[in-house]
Amino acid sequence: MGATFVVVLREGFEAALLLGIVYAYLAQIGHAESRRYVTLGGGLALVASIVMGATVSVLSGPLADIGPDVIALVVIFGAVALLTWHGWWMGRHARELRGDLQRRIDAAHASQQLWMVGLIAFTGVFREGAETVLFVWGLMTQLESVSGWTALAGGAAGLVAAAVLGWLVFQGGRRLSVQRFFGVTSLLILFLAAGLFSAGIGRLQSFGLLPGAEPLWDTSWLLDDHGSVGGFLAGLVGYRARPTALEAAAYVLYLAGASLLFLPSFFGRGAPRNGSVVEPAAPSRI
Amino acid sequence: MRRLVTSSLLLVLAVAALVAPAHRVEAQDKTTEVPLTAANQAFSPAELKVKAGQPFVLVVTNNDPKKAIEVENKDLRIEKVVPAGKTVKIRVRALKPGTYVFVDDFNHAAQVKIVAE
Repeated sequence: MGATFVVVLREGFEAALLLGIVYAYLAQIGHAESRRYVTLGGGLALVASIVMGATVSVLSGPLADIGPDVIALVVIFGAVALLTWHGWWMGRHARELRGDLQRRIDAAHASQQLWMVGLIAFTGVFREGAETVLFVWGLMTQLESVSGWTALAGGAAGLVAAAVLGWLVFQGGRRLSVQRFFGVTSLLILFLAAGLFSAGIGRLQSFGLLPGAEPLWDTSWLLDDHGSVGGFLAGLVGYRARPTALEAAAYVLYLAGASLLFLPSFFGRGAPRNGSVVEPAAPSRI
Repeated sequence: MRRLVTSSLLLVLAVAALVAPAHRVEAQDKTTEVPLTAANQAFSPAELKVKAGQPFVLVVTNNDPKKAIEVENKDLRIEKVVPAGKTVKIRVRALKPGTYVFVDDFNHAAQVKIVAE
C-alpha cells in the first residue's frame, strides 16, 4: 500500500502544484471566473492521458517504441515554453499591480491570454498522466485479492494527498499579497521550468541525439534524487544528483535568461514601489 | 500571441526534426538487441552483460498479463512504460564500463543489473 501511495503521489505532485498555482493566480488577478479554462485543460488532459494509456497498451512495433518518447519531448518542451510565457507575463503585470491594488488587469486584455493558462494545466496533468493511468489500471486488475484492494487504496490515497497539496498551494497562494504571490510563483515557475528544460535536454542526450551524457558531478552522497527529499526537489526544481554538463548548462542558461524576463523589476527600469503611478505600459499584446 | 504560437510550433517541429532522422538511422544500422523479460514482479535475467562504449537496444517484454511496468534508470534518463503483455524497445546510449541498475518504477523490488564491460 505504501509503495503505490508513493508512486501516485509522486506522479501527481507536479500536476497538483501547477494546478494550485494557476488557480491561485486566477484568483489573484481577479479572474476567478476563468477557472473553467484550467478545469477544462486539466479535464482534457485526464481524458488524453486515458486515451494515451489505452493507445500505448494496444500499439506495438516502432510506434510503441518511439511514440511515447516523442510525445514526452513535445510535452516537456511545450511546458517549458508555456511556463516561460506565463512567467514573463506575470513579471510584466506584477509591475502594473504593484502600483495600485484596486487596479485589476484589463478584462478584455486578460481574457485573450487566459486560454493559455488552460494549456499550462493541460501539460501539467498530461505529463505524467498516461503513466499514472497505466499504473492505476494495473492496480484495478488485481482487485480479486485483498492485497490488490490495499494497493488500490494506497494509490487513491496518493491521489488525494497530491490533490490536498495542490489545494494547500491554492489556499496559501490566494492569501498572499498580490506582490508576494507574483514574486514567489515567478521564482517557483522559474526553477520549475529550468528543471523541465534541463530534463528535456537530458532526454535528448539519453536518446543519443545530443552528445556528452556522462555526469558532471555526483552529489548523491549528499542528497540522492531517488530518495524522498531529493525526489521531491527533483519534481519541484529539477534537482539532479548526477547531472550531465549539458543539463547543468541548460539549467543555468535558462535561469539566467528567464530571470531577465520574469523579474523585470530587478533589472533595468525599476517599478514604482508605492503610489498609483504606473509607468507607460509596454505594448500590451504579445 | 501569434508569435508565441509560431515559436511553439517551430519548437515542436525542431524536436520532431531532431528525433525523426535519428530513429531512421536506428532502423538502418543493426544495433545490438538485448532481450529482457519481466514477469512475477521480477526481471529475467537479473543480470545482463553489454559491451561498454556501444549503444544497444533493450528489448523488454512484459509477460505480466495485467500490470504495466515502467523501466527506469534515473542516471541514464530512461523512463519507459511497458504495458501488460507488450514488448517495447528502449534505446540505451553507449555506457562507460560499470554496473547500471534498472528498476521497475511501479515496483522497485524488480531490478535488473546491466554490466557494461
